[in-house]
Amino acid sequence: MAIVLLPAVLAAEAGGQKRFELEAATVGDALQQLPVRNLLFDERGELRRLINVFVDGVDARGGRLLEASRRHSPRSRPSSPAVRSASTAPAS
Amino acid sequence: MGVVLPVGTRKGLFLLRSDDRTKWEVEGPLLEGWAVYHAIVDPRDRTLHAATNNPFYGASAHRSSDGGKSWERADELGLPEDGELKLNATWHVEPGRESELWLGGDPGVLFRSGDGGRTWQLNQGLFEHPTRDRWQPGAGGMCTHSIQLVDGAMYVAISAAGAFRSEDGGDTWAPINKHVAAEFMPDPYPDVGQCVHKLLVHPKQPERIWQQNHCGVYRSDNRGDDWQRLDGNGLPTSFGFPLALDPDDPDVAYVIPEQSQEHHYTADGRLGVYRTGDGGASWELASDGLPERAWVAVLREGLAYDDDAIYFGTQSGSVWTAPRGAARWTEAARDLPPILSVEAAPA
Repeated sequence: MAIVLLPAVLAAEAGGQKRFELEAATVGDALQQLPVRNLLFDERGELRRLINVFVDGVDARGGRLLEASRRHSPRSRPSSPAVRSASTAPAS
Repeated sequence: MGVVLPVGTRKGLFLLRSDDRTKWEVEGPLLEGWAVYHAIVDPRDRTLHAATNNPFYGASAHRSSDGGKSWERADELGLPEDGELKLNATWHVEPGRESELWLGGDPGVLFRSGDGGRTWQLNQGLFEHPTRDRWQPGAGGMCTHSIQLVDGAMYVAISAAGAFRSEDGGDTWAPINKHVAAEFMPDPYPDVGQCVHKLLVHPKQPERIWQQNHCGVYRSDNRGDDWQRLDGNGLPTSFGFPLALDPDDPDVAYVIPEQSQEHHYTADGRLGVYRTGDGGASWELASDGLPERAWVAVLREGLAYDDDAIYFGTQSGSVWTAPRGAARWTEAARDLPPILSVEAAPA
C-alpha cells in the first residue's frame, strides 16, 4: 500500500481529497493512478519540471526513485517549491 | 440589463457583477492557484469556461455549470505523446457553431470540443500546417490567442505566425497576412511569421477585420485578403496589444497603445484609450476619467465590449469601464491581482 499526500491545489483538483491509499508496484505507478496525473506528468509521461516528489522524506525529483520498487509502504508527496513549505503533511 | 465580467488574473478568476454599471460586486478568487488567461460565460448555456495555467501543473481548461461554485478540469488535454511539441499554455476559449467550443494554445495550436469542454481534440490542420517551421514564439510564447467564427469562415491569429482563415470548418488554413509588416524579419512582408497581438472580425460586417499587431494597427475589408496599416494618424505609437470594436458600427475601434516593443507600458506615461470612428483614418484619445500619469499595461485579452459599454483591466489590478463611445471612464474594481483577461456577458 502506498500513501500519497497532495498539496492544496492538487487536492482541490482531485475533488478535495488530499490522501490516497493505492496499490502500486512503483511510486510512478501510484502517481499515475491519481485523478491529477495529467497535472503531474506531461503528454510524454515525463514528470513536470517543477514538481517535486518526496518518497519517505527523500526528494525523488529527477525521477530515479519513481521507478524504484516500493519496499515498504512509502509515503509519496508530490509538491512544488511554492507549496512545499506550507504543507502540513507529516514527514514519514 | 445587468452585466457580469469574468476577469482572469494571475491568481484566479474574479466575477464582477453590476446591475447599472455603476456599483460593482466582486466575487472571487475562483480557481485559486490557476492563472486564468481567458474566461467566458458561454452565451448558449451560461457555462463558465476558463483557459487555465499553472507554473507547476501545466496548461489546462476548466468549466463550471453552476456559476463558479464547482469546477471540472478538462480530461487529458495535450499534444500527441510521440511528438516533439508539448502544450505550454492555453490562451483563449471561443464558442463555435452549434454546441462546439474552440481553445487556442501555445505552441500555435487549436483544440475543438464537442462535449462542452470536457474533452478536447487537436486541430490537425493547424498543427500540421506546412508553414509551421517558419513560425516563432513571441515574448508571450507562440500563442493562438484570437479565434473568430463569423459568416461561415473561421479565423485564428498566432503570435508570431500570423493570421489564418479556414473555409472548411478548420480542416485547412490559408495565411492572410498580405501587406502586414513583420519588421523584425529579414523579409518585412513574409506570407507568414507576423506577430498579431489581437484580431477581431466585426460581427455585423464580416468582411471587415481589425488587428492590433506588433508592427501597427490594421484593417481589412475583404476578409483578410489584404490589409491596410492605420497607425500614424493620431496614435502615439504603433505598438499595443488589446483591441475592441463597436457591436454595430464597423468604423469604430479602440486600442491602448504601449510605449514600444521594448517598453510594455502605456504610451506617453498616460493610460490612453484611443478611439477611431472613421475606420482608422484618424484616432482620438478617449481617456476622460482615467489617470493622466500612469505606467501600466493592458494585455491582449484585457479589453472587452458589449452592447452597452467597454471594459478593460490592467496589470496593476484595476478594471475600468465606460459607456459605449468611451466618453467617461470609471473604476469598477481595483487592487485585484494582475489582470490577464476581461470579458463581458449579460448577468
